[in-house]
Amino acid sequence: MAKSKLLTLSMCVAFLFSAAACSSLEISNVDYSQPVESVLTVENNEVHDKRYAIKFNISPVLDEEGISSVDEIRLIRSNRGYYFLTASGFNHVYVLEVTSGGLDEKNIIRIPGDALQQPAFNQRDGFIELVDLATGDTHNLDHNGRR
Amino acid sequence: MKTTISTLAVLLFVAGTTVTAQQSDYQVVQDFRADYNELVERVDNAVSSEELSEINADIDALEADNSGHSSLIDGYIYPNSFEGKISDLRSRYAAAENNVQVIESLNEKVAELEDEMAELRDRLSALDEDSQALANRLERAAQNERRLSNLVRQYRENLENRDAFVSDLLEDLLKRYQTMDAQTQEEIAAAAEALEDNPLDLLRTILAEYINLAERETGLDSEDYLRMRAQHGYFSEVWDNVGERMASTYAAEEPVQAKQEIDDHLDAWLASVDNKLWNALSTSFNQSGVQLPSFTSATAFNNALNTYVDEMTEVSLGQNSEEDYEMFSNFSEFWNSTVKAEWGEFLVAGNVLSQGDIAAIDVKVGSWGQAAEPVSNLMFILFLVSLAVIIGLIVLLVTKKE
Repeated sequence: MAKSKLLTLSMCVAFLFSAAACSSLEISNVDYSQPVESVLTVENNEVHDKRYAIKFNISPVLDEEGISSVDEIRLIRSNRGYYFLTASGFNHVYVLEVTSGGLDEKNIIRIPGDALQQPAFNQRDGFIELVDLATGDTHNLDHNGRR
Repeated sequence: MKTTISTLAVLLFVAGTTVTAQQSDYQVVQDFRADYNELVERVDNAVSSEELSEINADIDALEADNSGHSSLIDGYIYPNSFEGKISDLRSRYAAAENNVQVIESLNEKVAELEDEMAELRDRLSALDEDSQALANRLERAAQNERRLSNLVRQYRENLENRDAFVSDLLEDLLKRYQTMDAQTQEEIAAAAEALEDNPLDLLRTILAEYINLAERETGLDSEDYLRMRAQHGYFSEVWDNVGERMASTYAAEEPVQAKQEIDDHLDAWLASVDNKLWNALSTSFNQSGVQLPSFTSATAFNNALNTYVDEMTEVSLGQNSEEDYEMFSNFSEFWNSTVKAEWGEFLVAGNVLSQGDIAAIDVKVGSWGQAAEPVSNLMFILFLVSLAVIIGLIVLLVTKKE
């Protein structure tokens, strides 16, 4: 009887140790916010942000927007790590989530009114501010949409 | 009605403010960077105090306009910072201020030198023009002796004025460059690069005109050519003292060549003067009844004088005639009242005769004087008379005894 209790206790201890060993490292409260947006020139539908070291093809976004080409795009990363992308002539802001080797659509935010003329992103406390410098319209955005 | 208009105006103002208040952080940072870069370029290229004071105000404005965005700019230009950039601008400004001070001081120096050169050139040109005009008049007046004599006097005065002017200039050069420190030399050399006409050019012009004057046929005599040689001696002495330094200052790229050029001018000037001087001296001595052996150099002239005095002393010792004494008196008069009194200073300054040479000839002239002085016959006659009296007395005594 005592032998069986001892065995049970040993197994419990071994289980606790192995459970502790299997848990992965986690860093929380990471602030990904990019202080100032990147204005990236488009070449062959590709953009390359050398400052923040990211390079990707915007063809899927252009297809989605129904535009064949743009000269430059505006890109900013929120504190939660989502990329916000738009360009002059767009009606939307694309919220993209980093995945392994890719950027997935997190949200596509429809901006009311006519297409954006001179869009600019500003990093604000807890949200991204979208300004159309041509009209003066301002929209506060987060990855869920307009606030 | 009034209230409606006021309300509308306020609304428009608010709307306008709202529109203009919209900004892009990216644009703010880009504007800051553009303004900063423009200011850096302006600071680095500033060449005057006026530019700098405008730049200083613009740096203040850049700081004031962007201090509200400093954290934004800090984030974008990391690892630099807004404070760092402004501080960098201020450091550049301080360095530029020093540079501008140096530039302005150099500009002042250039302007000073240019004014000086222009003034010297003007005075020199005026003297040269007068000299040329007098020389022309001398040529035309060759037939009229009285007029010629007046013109020669005027011409001589003009040459003396020119010499005085050049001597002042040389004295100034001596003062300025003989004890000049390296830093001042560097500063002047830097300023001299901007000069169209520098002191070396001026010296070359002066020397060229001296050569021209010496070669001109204008009825000048020994004293005039001796004065030229004396002026040449002074010029050479000053050039020996300051030439190297002036050449390094005003011809920094080819100082040896520049110095050699002036040396060559000096040699040519001396040759031109000597070409006339030895003949003129020979003529002056001849006209005073002194037939010197021929000479074509300073050493030969000294030898000729010594030979003449030695030979004449020998002759006087042998003959002791009235004629010899007359020759001596003639030479002594010319030697003392003309050669030594009127030419002495120029002979020494022009390296024709040294004080020692003159003193040595003086001693010889003294010996010649003793040798040439005629010996009196009175004692001899008295001796003969006494002898005759004694003989007479003896004859008388002998006759009486017999």
